[in-house]
Amino acid sequence: MPDVILKNLPFLLQGLWLTLTLSVWSIALGTALGLVVGTVRFVRLPVLNAAALVYVEFIRGTPLLVVLFITYFALPALFGYHTTAYRAAVLGFVLFIGAYLAEDFRSGLRAVRPTLIQAGLATGLTRWQVLRFIILPQAIRRVLPSLFNQYVRLIKFTSVASVIGVTELTGAGLLVNAREFQPVTILASIAVVYLVVCMLLSLAGRALYARFAVRT
Amino acid sequence: MTDEPTIVIRDLHKSYGTTQVLRGCSMNVARGEVVVVCGPSGSGKSTLIKCINGLEGFQSGSIRVEGVEVGGKSTNLPKLRARVGMVFQHFELYPHMSVLDNIALAQVHVLKRTRPAARERARELLKRVGLQEKADAMPADLSGGQQQRVAIARALALDPQAILFDEPTSALDPEMIHEVLQVMTELAAEGMTMVVVTHEMGFARRVAHRVVFMDAGEIVEDAPSEAFFSAPKTQRAVEFLSKILAH
Repeated sequence: MPDVILKNLPFLLQGLWLTLTLSVWSIALGTALGLVVGTVRFVRLPVLNAAALVYVEFIRGTPLLVVLFITYFALPALFGYHTTAYRAAVLGFVLFIGAYLAEDFRSGLRAVRPTLIQAGLATGLTRWQVLRFIILPQAIRRVLPSLFNQYVRLIKFTSVASVIGVTELTGAGLLVNAREFQPVTILASIAVVYLVVCMLLSLAGRALYARFAVRT
Repeated sequence: MTDEPTIVIRDLHKSYGTTQVLRGCSMNVARGEVVVVCGPSGSGKSTLIKCINGLEGFQSGSIRVEGVEVGGKSTNLPKLRARVGMVFQHFELYPHMSVLDNIALAQVHVLKRTRPAARERARELLKRVGLQEKADAMPADLSGGQQQRVAIARALALDPQAILFDEPTSALDPEMIHEVLQVMTELAAEGMTMVVVTHEMGFARRVAHRVVFMDAGEIVEDAPSEAFFSAPKTQRAVEFLSKILAH
């Protein structure tokens, strides 16, 4: 390991830790949000469906950095609450990834054969039960690869949090570089860490998909 | 109440936009009766039986199942459907669940049976359709005929008063048709009330009490099966039979 990395290792590890916790929170909450929004869009709940559509289209048409500025500066100003850069980043990532995940969930839900829904209804299950026991489990299994694609993208996106002052891995690296000025070594090392984290997550996704794929 | 037929359909009309699919269909199915519904494709057979358990709506007329109005505003459709099983052309087993769970699901969530009781019942039914060794298999690992027999077990698991079959053998290879018809014949012999949309005229002749012949959204003929096959009354039925029995 290069000296400059070794010397700053505790600080960089703190950065990595922030990157990981940012990612875990954002993935967990973003997936929950995406599942709810995607389901609302799928069953076309009145009013909520329109709200969900506006949300998804708004996020898909807005740069991630702008979303973070909104959750860090605009929303607290608008609603008069205090936030930290870390929390604003999590909120921004959740909103951002939630919109894309919602579309993935929705396409998975729509891919379930309508006649399978009829079969569930024919046994006396209610619409809600059919959704919960028959449609959603298949949809989720089917979209696992897309979900993990989004998760991997998100991990790389978390580097943007450094702009609003979260010293996650990229932010920490930039600070170290400002003091040591060895950009090639430092940035290359950081890139390798992202690569490893993303590959591990990809592999986990593939393993899950192999285990739970729906065979028809 | 007890002498009302299990299913009573009166003057049923249904259309998709301007296309009339059912034009005034009326028929009864008595308890323990096996009725085969046949007719050229597009004649409205599948639509008719999907109206019986409310999977398809209709514009006018009425359907009563065990005295309950299917189209009624306050009718609890899930409750009614639990009393009328249905078997589909393409089996429609839940692909993410084992065979056993396919049969147990509605027992647990509709009839509120405990999971062990539901599984026990599922095993009994699998034995009855000759698939006890497939309890833990996934649907994708079964042949079409086996999948359809599981689908029949799934319908039976709710102890229905009647079962609707929507072309249960049309998607099967010829050598698998027999195993499914075998199970259906046994059910009929046990006194199950059945409405069967099918082109299997051999089954209709041997097992059905009555044959309902449909064409262009109308019930053209409704006769005891022997009478229907030996002396069809309408020209349309004669033509249909000559086509379907020709080969």
